[in-house]
Amino acid sequence: MKKKLLALLLALTMGLTLAACSNGDNTADKGTDASAAPSTAAEESTAPDASKPAEGDSDLAYVKEKGTLVVGITNFEPMDYQDASGEWIGFDADMAKAFAASLGVNVEFSEINWDYKVFELDGKTIDCVWNGMTLNDEVMAAMSTSVPYCVNAQVLVVPTDKAAEFTDLATLEGLSVAVEAGSAGEDAAEALGASTTPVQKQSDTLLEVSAGASDAAVIDLLMAGAMIGEGTSYDNLTFTLNLNTVQGLDSENYGVGFRTGSDLVEAFNDFWAASVTDGTALSTAEAYGVQESVILD
Amino acid sequence: MFFASAEFQTVFAALNAGFVRTLQLFFITLAGAIPLGLVVSFGSMSRFPPLRWLTRLVIWAVRGTPLVLQIIALYYVPPLIKLFSWGSGESGRFTAVAVAFVLNYACYFSEIYRGGIQGVPSGQQEAGLVLGMTRRQIFFQVTLLQMIKRIVPPMSNEVITLVKDTSLARVIALQEIIWMGESFMTGNQGYAGRVWPLFFTAVYYLVFSGVATILLNRLEKKLEFFH
Amino acid sequence: MALLEVHHIEKHFGSTQVLKDISFNLEQGQALAIIGSSGSGKTTLLRCLNFLETPDKGTIKVAGEILFDAKVSATRSEAAIRKKRLHFGLVFQSFNLFPQYTALENVTLAGELLAKEREDYKADKKRIVAGIEAQGRELLAQMGLSDREGHYPHQLSGGQQQRVAIARALALHPDILCFDEPTSALDPELTGEVLRVIRSLADQQTTMVIVTHEMAFARDVADQVIFMDGGVIVEQGPAHMVIGDPQEARTKQFLSRYSEH
Repeated sequence: MKKKLLALLLALTMGLTLAACSNGDNTADKGTDASAAPSTAAEESTAPDASKPAEGDSDLAYVKEKGTLVVGITNFEPMDYQDASGEWIGFDADMAKAFAASLGVNVEFSEINWDYKVFELDGKTIDCVWNGMTLNDEVMAAMSTSVPYCVNAQVLVVPTDKAAEFTDLATLEGLSVAVEAGSAGEDAAEALGASTTPVQKQSDTLLEVSAGASDAAVIDLLMAGAMIGEGTSYDNLTFTLNLNTVQGLDSENYGVGFRTGSDLVEAFNDFWAASVTDGTALSTAEAYGVQESVILD
Repeated sequence: MFFASAEFQTVFAALNAGFVRTLQLFFITLAGAIPLGLVVSFGSMSRFPPLRWLTRLVIWAVRGTPLVLQIIALYYVPPLIKLFSWGSGESGRFTAVAVAFVLNYACYFSEIYRGGIQGVPSGQQEAGLVLGMTRRQIFFQVTLLQMIKRIVPPMSNEVITLVKDTSLARVIALQEIIWMGESFMTGNQGYAGRVWPLFFTAVYYLVFSGVATILLNRLEKKLEFFH
Repeated sequence: MALLEVHHIEKHFGSTQVLKDISFNLEQGQALAIIGSSGSGKTTLLRCLNFLETPDKGTIKVAGEILFDAKVSATRSEAAIRKKRLHFGLVFQSFNLFPQYTALENVTLAGELLAKEREDYKADKKRIVAGIEAQGRELLAQMGLSDREGHYPHQLSGGQQQRVAIARALALHPDILCFDEPTSALDPELTGEVLRVIRSLADQQTTMVIVTHEMAFARDVADQVIFMDGGVIVEQGPAHMVIGDPQEARTKQFLSRYSEH
C-alpha cells in the first residue's frame, strides 16, 4: 500500500515536472491562492476557505497573517551578505528589514538557487526576490516587479596586466568571454560579437578568466566592485569597459520581484517612496558604498 | 601564519557548519534507506505480481533519472501544484532533500539486497525448513548474516558515493559544505572573491570517506570468519 | 502397523508428471533404500516426505496419524506443515550446513529455537539450553567429531561436514531420518566415513529412508529396497531380493550397469 502511494507520487511528480518545465512562462494563474500556504499558517488562520477568493487572495494579507516576510536571496556583496556573526546585511538586506518592519512582520532571509527563483515564488517558499535582480524581459514576464531602485551596468573583467589592450574597444569580436548563463551580461557580450562561455554563476566567470580559460568576463558592476582587486583571490583582475556605454544602451535597473499580481508591489513602492523622502534609502546606500547607483528621484 | 588568521578562522567555522549539514544528510539517508531498501527489495521479489511490477517500475524510475532532478522535482513540484509545502527556510529544504535521498538510496540498496538475498543458496532455506524453523527464524537466524556478508562490498561503494552525492543538495540551496565553500566567492561574512574555501572542502570529503572506508573494511574483515 | 505409510502419491511439475501412484510402507527400526537412475523421481519422493514439495495427490501417515492428505487443505498450510516436518529428518546431498555457525551451533540451533515455544522456557531457560548443548556434544561425539565442535563448516572436510549434518538432523529426534544421496558430493576417499555412520545408525534400529547410488551399501544396510524408474515404483521388496535377485527387466538392466564396474 505504502509503495503504491509512493509510486503514484513519484510518477505524478515526474510527469508534472515535465509539464511545469514546458510552460514555464505561463505562471499568471498562480501566486495568490492561500491554499498553498504552509500548514502552520493555515492552522493559525481564522479558517479561510482556500477555494473561495476572499481576503485570502491578497498577498499582503497572506504575509501579514503568517507574520513573516521570506526574502529570497543569494550571497551577493554588497547587496545581501553575512557579517561575521552570520547576520544578513547589505543594501538590499537592510532595506528588506525596514520594509518588513513597515508591514509589521518579521523578516526571514532564505538563500535560493537563482535558477529556480520563479518556482520558489510560485511555490510560496519565498515571498519576494530581493537580491540585486536586473529587471530584464524574462524577469518582468515571470513576476510582478517593483519600481527600479538601483542602476547597474555590465562591465568587462580582464587580467590587470592586459588591461591596456581593452580600454578602447568598440567590439569584442575574436575574444572568448565567460558569462553567467541567461544573464544580462551574456546578452551584452553576444551583442558585441564575443564568443561566449556560459557558466552557472557570475562568480564562476571570474574563475574562468583567472585560470586563463577565457580572455575576459562580463558581470554586474556592483558585483565586480566587491569581488575583484586588492584583498580577494582575484587581485590580478580589474574591470575596464562599461558595456552599456559601449553599446549606447540605457543602464540596467534593479528591482524587487513578487508573485504575479501581488499587492505587495504597491506596498513596496509606497515604502520605497517614503524611504527616499525621509533619507533612509540614501543613508543605507552610503553605508554600503552604493550611493552612486541608488535611484532617488 | 595563515591557519591562525581571522580569514581562515571565519571560513573554517562556516565550512564546519556546512559539513554538519552534510553529515546530517548522510546519516539520515543511511538510517532511512537501509531499512526502507529492505522493504522495497521484498516488494520487488513479491509473489504477488502487481506489487512486484509496481515496485520494479518505481526502482526503474528512480534509478533511471538523475538524483539532482528528483531533488528539484520533489522540492518544487508539490507546492507548485498546491499539494503541500515543505515549509519555508532551511528546515523545509532539508526535509525535502532528505526524503529525496532516502527514496533514491532505498531503491539502489534494494537492488543490492535482492542480489544478496537471491545469492544465498536455496539449500540454506530448505535446511531451515526441515529443521522446523519458521520463515522468520530462517531469515533472521540463517539467511540475514550470509546476505549481509554478500552485500557489504557493494554497499561500501554506495556509501562512499553517498558521501559525495550529498553535495547535490545545494541545487535547492541547502547550505551544505560546497555551498558554504562557494559562498566566499561572492562574499560571505566580509570575505569576498575567495576561491580557496571551495577547494578546501575536498579535505573534509577525503577525511570522511577515508574514515568510512576504514570502518567498512573492518566490517568486511569481521565477516571473514565464515565463507 | 507400519511406522510410515505412503499412499498413492502423485506429483507434477507443470505438465510433467514426476511421481505416479507411489505407495509403500516402512516398519519401525527398518532402513529403506530407494535406488534408480537420475530423473527417476526418487529425490522428489524424498522431498515430498519432508514437505519441501507438496504432492498433488495421496496421503502420508506416520504412526497412524495422517500428516498429509492432498484432499484436506488444512493439512497443506504452511503452519500445519511446519510441526509435522519434525517427524522427518533430512540429510542433503550438499550438506547445507549454516556457514556462520560452528559445528556445535549447527546441531543445536533449531533445538534452541524450538525450545523458545515451550511454556517453561522463560523460567527454566538455562537448564533447557544446557541440555540441548549437552545433547549436541554427545551427537558430535557419536559422529567422531568431538574435536571439531568449534570449527566452522569451511574448516571441515566434506565427510566431516556431512557427519555434522547427520548430527544436526538427529538432534530433533525425528521418527524417520531421510538421506538424499549423502555421499554423492564427496570425494571417493571420504564416502567411507559417512557410510560407516549410517551403518551404525542402522545397527541402532534407526528408521531411515536412504536415496543412494551405492548399491553394495544399499544391499548390506537396507532392509527394504525400492527401485524407481520414470516416476513409478518398478520393484520393491527385501534388499537381498531386489538387488540380489531382481524380477523386473528394468531393474535387471539398471543393476547390470553397477555390476559391470
